[in-house]
Amino acid sequence: MRLHKLNPSIKALTVILLVFLLSFVFDPVTPLLYWLFIVVVTFSLGKVETRKWLLIFVPFLVVALGYVWTTAVFSNPPAGTELVTYWTIGPVEITNYGLSTGLALGLRVLCFAGLSLLFILTTDPVKFILSLVQQCKLPPKLAYGLLAGYRFLPLLTEEVKIIRHAHKVRGANRETGLKGKLFALKRYAIPLLASAIRKAERAAIAMESKGFTGGRSRTYYHQIHIQKQDWLFFGLMIGLFFLCVFVSMQLGTFRGYGDI
Amino acid sequence: MTAPLLTVDNFTFSYDEAEKPVLHNLSFTVEQGEALLLLGPSGSGKSSLALCLNGLYPAAVDGSSTGEISLAGKKLDAYLPGEASRRIGVVFQDPDAQFCMLTVEDELAFGLENLNVPREEMADRMEWALGLVDLQNYRTSPIASLSGGMKQKLALACVLAMKPDLIILDEPTAMLDPVTTKELAETIKALHAELGFSLLVIEHKLDHWISFMDRCLIFTETGEVMFDGIPEDGFSFYLDELKEQGVWLPKPLVFSEQLNMAGKLPLTEDELLAAMNWQAFEKAGQLLQKERREYSGTILETRKLSFLRGAKPILKQVNVRLPKGALTAIVGPNGAGKSTLSYTLAGLETPDNGEVLYEKEPLAHLSGAAMSEKIGYVFQNPEHQFITDSVYEEIAFSLRMQKKKEADIEQIVGEILAACRLQGLAHQHPFSLSQGQKRRLSVATMLVDEQSLFILDEPTYGQDQKAAAELMKMVEKRLAAGFSAVMITHDMELVAAFADQVIVLVEGEVLFAGVPHDLFSDRSGLLEKAQLERPLAYSIREKWRLRGESLAASQA
Repeated sequence: MRLHKLNPSIKALTVILLVFLLSFVFDPVTPLLYWLFIVVVTFSLGKVETRKWLLIFVPFLVVALGYVWTTAVFSNPPAGTELVTYWTIGPVEITNYGLSTGLALGLRVLCFAGLSLLFILTTDPVKFILSLVQQCKLPPKLAYGLLAGYRFLPLLTEEVKIIRHAHKVRGANRETGLKGKLFALKRYAIPLLASAIRKAERAAIAMESKGFTGGRSRTYYHQIHIQKQDWLFFGLMIGLFFLCVFVSMQLGTFRGYGDI
Repeated sequence: MTAPLLTVDNFTFSYDEAEKPVLHNLSFTVEQGEALLLLGPSGSGKSSLALCLNGLYPAAVDGSSTGEISLAGKKLDAYLPGEASRRIGVVFQDPDAQFCMLTVEDELAFGLENLNVPREEMADRMEWALGLVDLQNYRTSPIASLSGGMKQKLALACVLAMKPDLIILDEPTAMLDPVTTKELAETIKALHAELGFSLLVIEHKLDHWISFMDRCLIFTETGEVMFDGIPEDGFSFYLDELKEQGVWLPKPLVFSEQLNMAGKLPLTEDELLAAMNWQAFEKAGQLLQKERREYSGTILETRKLSFLRGAKPILKQVNVRLPKGALTAIVGPNGAGKSTLSYTLAGLETPDNGEVLYEKEPLAHLSGAAMSEKIGYVFQNPEHQFITDSVYEEIAFSLRMQKKKEADIEQIVGEILAACRLQGLAHQHPFSLSQGQKRRLSVATMLVDEQSLFILDEPTYGQDQKAAAELMKMVEKRLAAGFSAVMITHDMELVAAFADQVIVLVEGEVLFAGVPHDLFSDRSGLLEKAQLERPLAYSIREKWRLRGESLAASQA
């Protein structure tokens, strides 16, 4: 089973379902275990560049640490919770409750990031959209529109560069400060929008001129199927989640939605 | 005789019922296998007609129409949605805005999927279509990696794969350089002969098309047909009207006029050659002796300029000198580094190595403000340069930057508006102007600054003959006043007619720097290497010479 070969819709469904399930978990052990599984699955079943993965993952790590810190410091335990204070720094008290909730939240963020990366780095956006059309009944009108738009992104960055040069030559980039920068942004936006709208219109006409009606009656060159391995992946990921819940329960650390 | 493929009967079309119709009472037919040329000024509704013919308009724009269009004996309205578009393929002008998929094969598949072609058949049809345009080796390539010419060939392949009865070419070469244009036109010519589809060509520059057009329609500015017949007659009967409309005439025709040649109007180079006699040839030789502008000194020079993009060298040790008071042209194939060189000359990009000297002083020592006072740049797409909300403010912008008095600004702006024929448009939004007006405004904004050097990127690109001529007149006036200019261009006629110096750039290296006459007289293969086309006058001279040699050889 290779992650790249899986049906994108099922992969997306799996990720969404897991994000949903993870939101009901409030202890740090379950997401920690699960995060480890996600990493193992990502690198063993998917061909993912470690450098690229880290590059996107690190910012999430920072966000997660922020969660841990703020929740640990500003925790608001319900009345009657047994609190153990680990550290006291001035008026700030770090308690067992605060720390564990903070870690749970932080690790949840890491799990979300891990799952998203697993999806994004192993999925071809074109196949994803085609799969949405073929499996999830996304209207072709919308799907092929999205694809055409996706094509324009690199063209737009190229255009921003030219506009920046063009404005610099006219001496229009001399204002500094926040107000000047915002003003410059507005000036870039108009030519950029004008050309984007024109390109979009032309592309739409070109698509229609090739007999595209937006209707469902069409054949597909890339037929995207759902195979056994897709459900296997689905089962594996959900199974692993419940395994983590089970282990955490055995350790006595599990805290779910009802246990707050 | 069988019924015509396409019949247009009393057809009128308008975008809005309240507005004047774009197309007015059109009636014409297209026979099976016929090649039809549509001629007319920009804005005469030719592109709208293309979209009406394949059934997209009026529905797509909520326009309204009267009269009838029938395809293969059946009214267009009677076809199911999308069905007419399948029988009439269109290749549009913008190579970047006619695809919706990322790779060559997916794009080809898109059209076939719309046709409900069974999946098993697709591969064969794709191979076949790619083979026709010589792109078989690019089947899995990303479209973004193709050159402009290859993209247009792909667009053609996509249309061919659908096996249409009629192919409409809506200025397919407007964004291509002359060599690629020639290649595309020749491909289409061969395919038209081989496959026998009907062809409807809308083009501004006719030179490569005219030789295989069976008939031509000439449109008026108001969207009426004023001529329907063979191209030769069209050009002889309506020559003055066509000139007045700013239509680009075939180069041989213009040339024969310059030589005052009598007789039938030549439309192709071969016809011109056949019609020429010794006297005409002598006269043609005199035309090459262009009056030279006087200039001296150097305004800008580069020393061992190198520029890298990533690890890839874009410019390699470039040494160029721009004479003061002269027009220097930079020419070369796409991707040769022309834009990068011009950006570096304008101080917009910093070279990795070497330096640019402005009047012997390193450009890098100047502040941004000082630089934009000395060097101006007119970009290819005028819209990129507009920064304010009205034509007036656009011209006043840099005057305000210089903290000039309001009364002075008003006077200067008024003068510039008059000089660029933009009076009455002062309060319009720059984006609402026509293509030619936009171009003039973008040049006007540069004129007001009075920078001693200005750089023009493809100044005549996408413009009709009249607008292009006007623009070059403005440039020449500037040069006469002692300013210096650089232009990047693919148009060798423009170089031959206006440039004092020409720099040939190939793969980041300067292969030639000198007067255009020497470049175009070169016989060492330099022109081929730089993918440059000889201007007509030089090409005629070459062919005449070769003919003379073979004649001499046969007599010896």
